[in-house]
Amino acid sequence: MQIGFYFDQTRCTGCYTCVVACKDWHDVPAGPASWMRVTTVEKGKCPDLFVAFLPAACYHCLEPACVDACPVNAITKQKEDGIVTVDRDVCLGRDECQSCLEACPYNAPQFRSEDNAKMEKCDLCIERWADGKKPVCVDACPMLALDAGPIEELRAKYGDNREAEGFIYSEKLIPSITFKPKKDTKGLAVQRIEIAPGSRTVS
Amino acid sequence: MDSQKRGRADDQVRTIPTSCTPDCGGKCLLKVHVKNGVIVRTESYEGEDLHLRPCARGRASRQRVHAPDRLKFPMKRVGARGEGKFERISWDEALDTVARELKRVKATYGPSAILYIGQSGSFGLLHGRTAAERLLYLFGGCTNHWGMISCEGPAFASAVTYGFFTTGNTPDDFLNSRMIILWGWNPVEAQRATAPFLKRARDAGARIVCVDPRFNCSASLLADQWVPIRPGTDAAMLIAMAYVIITEGLQDQAFINTYTVGFDRYKDYVLGDEDGIAKTPAWAEAITGVPAAAIAGLARDYARMKPAALVAGWGPGRTAYGEQYHRASAVLAAITGNVGIHGGYPGIVGSLGYMPAQPTLPVPWGCCVMPLGDNPAAHRALPTPFNSWYYSDSGIHHCKVADAILRGKAGGYHTDLKLAYVTCANPVNQYPDSNKMAKALRELEFIVVHELFMTATARFADILLPVNTGFERNDICDSWLLSPPYYIYVNKAVDTAYECKSDLEICGELAAKLGIPDYNEKTEDEWLREAFRSIEAIQDYDYDDLKRKGILEVELPEYVPYKEQIEDPKNNPFTTPSGKIEIYSQGLADLNNPKLPPIPKYFEGWEKPLIEKYPLQLFSAHSLTHAKSQFHNTPWLREVEPHTLWINPIDAQPRGISDGASAKVFNDRGQILITARVTERIMPGVIFMADGAWFNPDENGVDRGGCHNVLTSDEISPGSAFTCNSSLAQVERA
Repeated sequence: MQIGFYFDQTRCTGCYTCVVACKDWHDVPAGPASWMRVTTVEKGKCPDLFVAFLPAACYHCLEPACVDACPVNAITKQKEDGIVTVDRDVCLGRDECQSCLEACPYNAPQFRSEDNAKMEKCDLCIERWADGKKPVCVDACPMLALDAGPIEELRAKYGDNREAEGFIYSEKLIPSITFKPKKDTKGLAVQRIEIAPGSRTVS
Repeated sequence: MDSQKRGRADDQVRTIPTSCTPDCGGKCLLKVHVKNGVIVRTESYEGEDLHLRPCARGRASRQRVHAPDRLKFPMKRVGARGEGKFERISWDEALDTVARELKRVKATYGPSAILYIGQSGSFGLLHGRTAAERLLYLFGGCTNHWGMISCEGPAFASAVTYGFFTTGNTPDDFLNSRMIILWGWNPVEAQRATAPFLKRARDAGARIVCVDPRFNCSASLLADQWVPIRPGTDAAMLIAMAYVIITEGLQDQAFINTYTVGFDRYKDYVLGDEDGIAKTPAWAEAITGVPAAAIAGLARDYARMKPAALVAGWGPGRTAYGEQYHRASAVLAAITGNVGIHGGYPGIVGSLGYMPAQPTLPVPWGCCVMPLGDNPAAHRALPTPFNSWYYSDSGIHHCKVADAILRGKAGGYHTDLKLAYVTCANPVNQYPDSNKMAKALRELEFIVVHELFMTATARFADILLPVNTGFERNDICDSWLLSPPYYIYVNKAVDTAYECKSDLEICGELAAKLGIPDYNEKTEDEWLREAFRSIEAIQDYDYDDLKRKGILEVELPEYVPYKEQIEDPKNNPFTTPSGKIEIYSQGLADLNNPKLPPIPKYFEGWEKPLIEKYPLQLFSAHSLTHAKSQFHNTPWLREVEPHTLWINPIDAQPRGISDGASAKVFNDRGQILITARVTERIMPGVIFMADGAWFNPDENGVDRGGCHNVLTSDEISPGSAFTCNSSLAQVERA
């Protein structure tokens, strides 16, 4: 069984509640490590615009690049639910190695600012499932734009759509995600892309 | 690893339902986890009433409550005013000093020399600004100020047109609208409680148009069409829409004949018979920057797609002559017959929604269960019969506080101000013309401030008193305007930090030092039980049940304002002098003020002559990571939405400003250094800065914090609207 995410891009308002809820729940301080990050895509020229948001944490891929890339096997994919986790005691630390981050096209691996910070990332709120709860980002979203659960069930319920604005599906890694994308029917040109937190702008 | 350990059910953790109560446009249900006296994480309401789910601010609560930069003990100023240099003193010394100064100023100059500044820092039924207001009234009175920063313009226009300050359909009624125009209204970011209802309406097929200089998050979520418009010109577009509707015979003439007065006078103005200028879409295009075809198209759609909701938000009315925009929007709703019907809207965001249907407390929404009493130093001087009842016993408009301090009686004010008492407010940051306010505060003899953090205003205090947050005391709050009705028990989650006290406790101790016997005879719990019993909608429920569950939702039918007036006009006249919707107001005509005409008119803003020197229009709006100036120093929120200047590439490129570069924004009132966000989401000729960033002038007086009020003017509109969105500025690469 593989747990994954559903994201309804047509409902997302770019409010960052998921980002902050995640940091609060997992006690991640403000700083370069953000388990959840939101990409803002701006297309078109005033006044014909298209704007979409894409929150992304970790897609717990079926064939995760990070697992293969890690030289010390600190990252494992759980057999029972497919959640990809890191053992911080085994991780070499950011100053020694960033192979996982270099391998992941979705920037899921994160490092804090302290010396040789160990890798951390979305763990799909492992401990909440045992309490019968969904990941905190899902419960936090004020627009019901997120869901999580067995990916086959999500695809049966919401459809199997692996495209969304700001997202590139990897056939090789097979991320556990299905979307209701926001569609740019006019095919407008991208003008600005921003990822926050971190305010990484890719214009 | 860590999260797995934390996740296991922990007997030492208590889950407490509560809320944060800022001026945010929502009231959510938080469930904070408390361990060893500290909030360790937050959960919330998980049901499908989405307006009860907290936003990023609510989720960041513990970072605010447990912030290391909380003010911890009373302090007295040791440096110059505004420097922010203080030394710690005891509560006794602090309150003795405040009491001594209050007595001295009152004895020397009279009570009207005492200025009270209280705003929307905390919205509970018990705790908030009223604590100090009541104290000062019992002490002998003070100069309060009047004018609602949020909505003086719309309150004025609503009073003129409909006979009452507040109006608005409840949000569930949007499902009945075929078309919804969000005019300068950004519910997704500024009034979150309403956003899910609009999304539902859109999914049900409503056509939604956003009229706004900026492609904000409401436009992103909801708009079928975005119409960018220059700030301060909205009345012109609405008048031109009336032109199209009238010349094409699209008005609801039967409605006009039955329910309104003055249509013919308005028609004369609109068609050009009054002044020789036909208010055509082409006329409006030159003023607004909106193409004539778009104006005409929107007018036809609005008139034809009935019922249609024209929801004219408050932002565009915070401009020179902003009350004309609100009048024009109300009149457009009236002439298309979209008033008093399901799916319609009276054309002014009034807030209210459920308020008339909801049995209210003896005091108005947002105010205190503790009685205020009369202000013995009241100076009743509202300029027109249509200005709002809020603080109507005072003499000075909010915008004019700094001016009144600086000029006093010699400047025509009713008093010379000598002392300022500030709670739940940040006037240096949030009132227009920050540099002028800073200058004014330096002139006062004494300033006392209640605060949580070292804000721009706190730096000017002579005595600075640390208060607690809503999480450190008990309260009840009612739901926001424009949302379904419910009450939340704001349970105390943690003990009051450091040496902080609530505003109520501080004022109680001051009352004793001032010899005021009857300031507060009840405990917090007694007050809250009394508040609960006095609310007709919930008094039959169980108080302890509300406290335990945290929320009590009230079943009320959806509300359509003026439904009775439309269905049975003979027995339900409008509360206007004519008994009808006043397109033409004799009351305004009697004022003989050409800039407060009896019908809606467009006037060009008074800064226009400066356009060559300062060619860009600046406006601001609320952001989702602030509640006015609160939360600006909360790290989780700062990092998701860094403060920037929004500027279109057409304006940025000639100035050599690239995305992420540092820019200087300035006019005659001040200078700001800020990071530029070069984006197509703001129209050319207009620049934008979110409200609430903290004023932080450097040694040269240049604000490094990005506070837009460094650039705004304290001029007020003839109808007393604030004009902060009528500022002109220039931008250069820094």
